[in-house]
Amino acid sequence: MTKKLNRRDFIKNTTANTVGVASIASGISLTTFAASENPVSNKKRWGMLIDTNKLSEANIEDMVNACQEEHGWGNEKYSTGEQKPDWIKKVKVKDKATGKIDSLPLMCQHCEQPPCVDVCPTNASVKREDGIVLVDKHLCIGCRYCMMACPYDSRSFVHENLSNQKADTPRGKGTVEACTMCVHRVDKGEVPACVEAVGGDGVIFGDLYDANSKINKTLKKIQSTQIRADLNLNTGVRYSGI
Amino acid sequence: MRHFPIILLALMFTSVFAHGNDGHINLGDKATELKEEGKSRDIHPSLAEIRKMHPEFLLHKRDQTLRQGIRSKRNSLKACVDCHSSTKNDEYLPINAPEQFCSTCHQKVGTSLDCFACHRTTPEEEL
Repeated sequence: MTKKLNRRDFIKNTTANTVGVASIASGISLTTFAASENPVSNKKRWGMLIDTNKLSEANIEDMVNACQEEHGWGNEKYSTGEQKPDWIKKVKVKDKATGKIDSLPLMCQHCEQPPCVDVCPTNASVKREDGIVLVDKHLCIGCRYCMMACPYDSRSFVHENLSNQKADTPRGKGTVEACTMCVHRVDKGEVPACVEAVGGDGVIFGDLYDANSKINKTLKKIQSTQIRADLNLNTGVRYSGI
Repeated sequence: MRHFPIILLALMFTSVFAHGNDGHINLGDKATELKEEGKSRDIHPSLAEIRKMHPEFLLHKRDQTLRQGIRSKRNSLKACVDCHSSTKNDEYLPINAPEQFCSTCHQKVGTSLDCFACHRTTPEEEL
């Protein structure tokens, strides 16, 4: 097949091709930047500061719902009450001396010295370099030692076959699971779903080590506490107002 | 003894063409598109390599992703599912269902895999 190409056609085709190539190239560079290719480091430590004075009970329920929506738990058909997963829950605490009642959201506290990691026989419980505590479900044998070791009752065990999981949160029968601090969002530079659900200053998420981060500055300024501080676990999730 | 070279040749041919004319019975919608556009080699430069080594690639990537937070698309199971899923009646079919991309070979070689006891079997995006 021979076709004579005149000057006009040649210029037309070349421009179209150039634009095409340029758009593909920009697409490629965008995706490369979006995905984090570098391993996380211990220069950072992710944490959360929860101010119970600024959280209404509705706020806390929003946090729980946002977590369920993000990770797809809570629709288990066959699990009984005790077996149902609880990645984050609303807890009421009462000071017996004064009668003051506080509601607070309780989830994995992402300890610096996590007891769940200590007891895990298969190294499935892991703490990432940046302080996020996770379950490696590929290695989890479902022994549930970590659930017994956790002082915060933050881990659950999946008792039934699941389907239609969220793409970023694989979950399955026979493994233990817990709050991941929305690690898939954090790796993309976003904040956890529960933090986003509250908005405002009720829950602050950020890098505890970064002196310029909001969480670091706030922690320096206001009174805050860890739940069961007596255990010296140095939790990543901290509370004020309780 | 005269037949030996013939038998050898026959064996070689069956092993080379086990995949049948370099094709896969059910490649999945996006992957078929990419193949027709001639872009499949950008993703899998060597078919022999990905066929033989994909378990190792996935194993390596899973530890990188979970423990080190490396979330690139290369060798991620989610990206496999996104490309190799097929649709029927405007719905995605689970990739581990019979006759779907993952099952066709695994059934043949008698491998039972449990990736999809936990992982999602269809792309999350709406059709």
